[in-house]
Amino acid sequence: MTLAGAGADPRRRLKVLASQEALLAIAVIGLAIAVGLYNPRFLAARNLSDVLLGNAYIAVAAVGMSMVIVSGNIDISVGALIGVLATISGTLAVNGAPILVAWLAALVAGVAVMALQGVIIAYLRIPAIVVTLGMLSILKGGLISVTGGKWITDLPDSFHLADIELFGMLPFPVVLMILVTILAALWMRYSASGRAIYAVGGNAEAARLCGISQPRTIVMVFALHGLFAGAAALLYATQLRVIQSTVPPNLELTIITASVVGGVSILGGVGTVVGSTLAAVLIAEIASALVFIDVSPYWIRAVQGALILVTVIADILRRRRMAGA
Amino acid sequence: MKLGLAAAFLGATLLAGAASAADKRWDGADDLPVNPLACSAGEASAAPAAKPYDGGKPTNAADKAGKPITLVDVPKLIGIGYFNATSKGMQDAAKALGNVTVKTDGPTEAKIDEQIKFIDNYITSGVDGILFAANDPVAIAPVLKKALSKGIHVVGYDANSTPDAREWFVNQAEFNGIAKSMVDSMAKEAGEDKGFAIVTSTFTTPNQARWIAEMWAYAQKCHPKLKWLETVEAQEDNNLSFNQATTLINKHGDKLAGLFGMTSVATPASAEAVTKAKLCGKVAVVGLATPNAMKPYVNADCVKSVVLWNPVDLGYAATYVMRAVVDGSLKPGATSVDAGKLGKLNVVNGSEILLGSPFIFTKQNIKDFDF
Repeated sequence: MTLAGAGADPRRRLKVLASQEALLAIAVIGLAIAVGLYNPRFLAARNLSDVLLGNAYIAVAAVGMSMVIVSGNIDISVGALIGVLATISGTLAVNGAPILVAWLAALVAGVAVMALQGVIIAYLRIPAIVVTLGMLSILKGGLISVTGGKWITDLPDSFHLADIELFGMLPFPVVLMILVTILAALWMRYSASGRAIYAVGGNAEAARLCGISQPRTIVMVFALHGLFAGAAALLYATQLRVIQSTVPPNLELTIITASVVGGVSILGGVGTVVGSTLAAVLIAEIASALVFIDVSPYWIRAVQGALILVTVIADILRRRRMAGA
Repeated sequence: MKLGLAAAFLGATLLAGAASAADKRWDGADDLPVNPLACSAGEASAAPAAKPYDGGKPTNAADKAGKPITLVDVPKLIGIGYFNATSKGMQDAAKALGNVTVKTDGPTEAKIDEQIKFIDNYITSGVDGILFAANDPVAIAPVLKKALSKGIHVVGYDANSTPDAREWFVNQAEFNGIAKSMVDSMAKEAGEDKGFAIVTSTFTTPNQARWIAEMWAYAQKCHPKLKWLETVEAQEDNNLSFNQATTLINKHGDKLAGLFGMTSVATPASAEAVTKAKLCGKVAVVGLATPNAMKPYVNADCVKSVVLWNPVDLGYAATYVMRAVVDGSLKPGATSVDAGKLGKLNVVNGSEILLGSPFIFTKQNIKDFDF
């Protein structure tokens, strides 16, 4: 499936990883069937597409997050950044900027902020958790100071990217989610720069000896992550008719959860975006399923937490086994 | 390092609240006593028995009667349309009065500990008066009492504290008044014997829980055939509210004829969910919301009535009340207070000023509001 960190048996790694994605796919389908037995309405095409539609932005952001975590870093500023980018884009749209400009602004600003963080992390050698924590506060505070918390309303109809249906039936957010996942997965697997991410996250020293520049790879990863965050922000901003100029609560946690549950090792070097997208779908599906089976939505957090625990423990045990093998 | 990070991350995520046990009331209601209004339209609620003044009193407050005063306003959180509107009302009142300066500052999330910090900082830096909307009525009391003890005047609005921690509280609308408007609108739009669901912030948010309890009581009394299906939580989160409302529509299908939105976030999101499901006119959306967020749906005839008091008036009234307290024209035992363009407002429950009955935004009047 992927180029693993040095020292591991690639075939065995391949089996284990394949099983992580397969496991998630089975979970997604199994849960749908189980809830469908309890309440057949859950399986209605409309509901399944709504689950995907309402949460596609999480999966898109989780693609970039997965790259960051695979490279051995973490980013907790992404939720705040998505709030800021949504506000930038919405403000431009309301003030009469061409819609394309409003959309592109989110992508460009996303890349700029994340690349800057990448540079600080890679060249100044400051741990990612510290840099992104600082950025989280800057973005969150800046957003409130600049907007005064005013909601953005009166958005032009053409701004609503999330409303577009391709060929009159395929919702754009879902198409984008699938497309981004497939392209990113292929790129990470088959291109030299994609594989460099695994090398840097798996064993930085070995990567350096192979002639891979660790700092450059990290800046590239963060820049890409910013691009995906920009795309996620556009989906997030155009889903409703109003943009709350605030930071969506716990968004970064949900995105990191999707990556981790998707099999991306929090220790770096392992994981795929196919896994993180499947996990994002699973988490969204669980939230919807809880309503369908009349369970208090309070449990969604607990279930998310349990999912993380299980995956992280499994990952650690797997590494121990491999180290011992 | 990375393991520690993973552990910290787990801790942050394992935050499951315990679900409250369901009683006969609708989910999301509190279990305090209820006082539903009469069913017939336009009938005022029974006059509450006059209570003696039960508010607090500042110690050795400087006499600033008629002199310029500086106020700080600390709402539950800044950055939502609702508190932007109360803040605007305060600025309007300050302009009308001419001798009041007021500044709004508060936490970016509705967290009581953050709010306490803000109030504490302003006590230290010194102001003549504090206006507040409490995130928690009990937890906020000590810091407000500290303000009173330093001679700072304290007036609440929107969300009360325990009475002795402030002087007066400007009550935007009695809970039972809001409940009546909401349930009457729902029965009229969805039908007397139809099913509806509720999208709220959390089951424990004080205001929302009170409204739901009063709605339950009023529906039992006046619209007994309305069928409550369920209540879902959506925090104060736009996209979660949208997803939850969509899930309700998909789950209940034809059984669902109406959605109640209990917050200014949940109501537009529910309207969007109904619009996206192409069910405008089939699923009624009735809720508390600010007009700007609702204009697209009201103008498209997807939503007929948005229930609220006018938050601009609420902020305006709170500022006038504070001025009256400082000037000594509003004293314990008073039965009304003059609130500028709003006229005379009545004192209820000992130390509360009542803003009036709820305001209903419709297609005819919503364009006149911009907040």
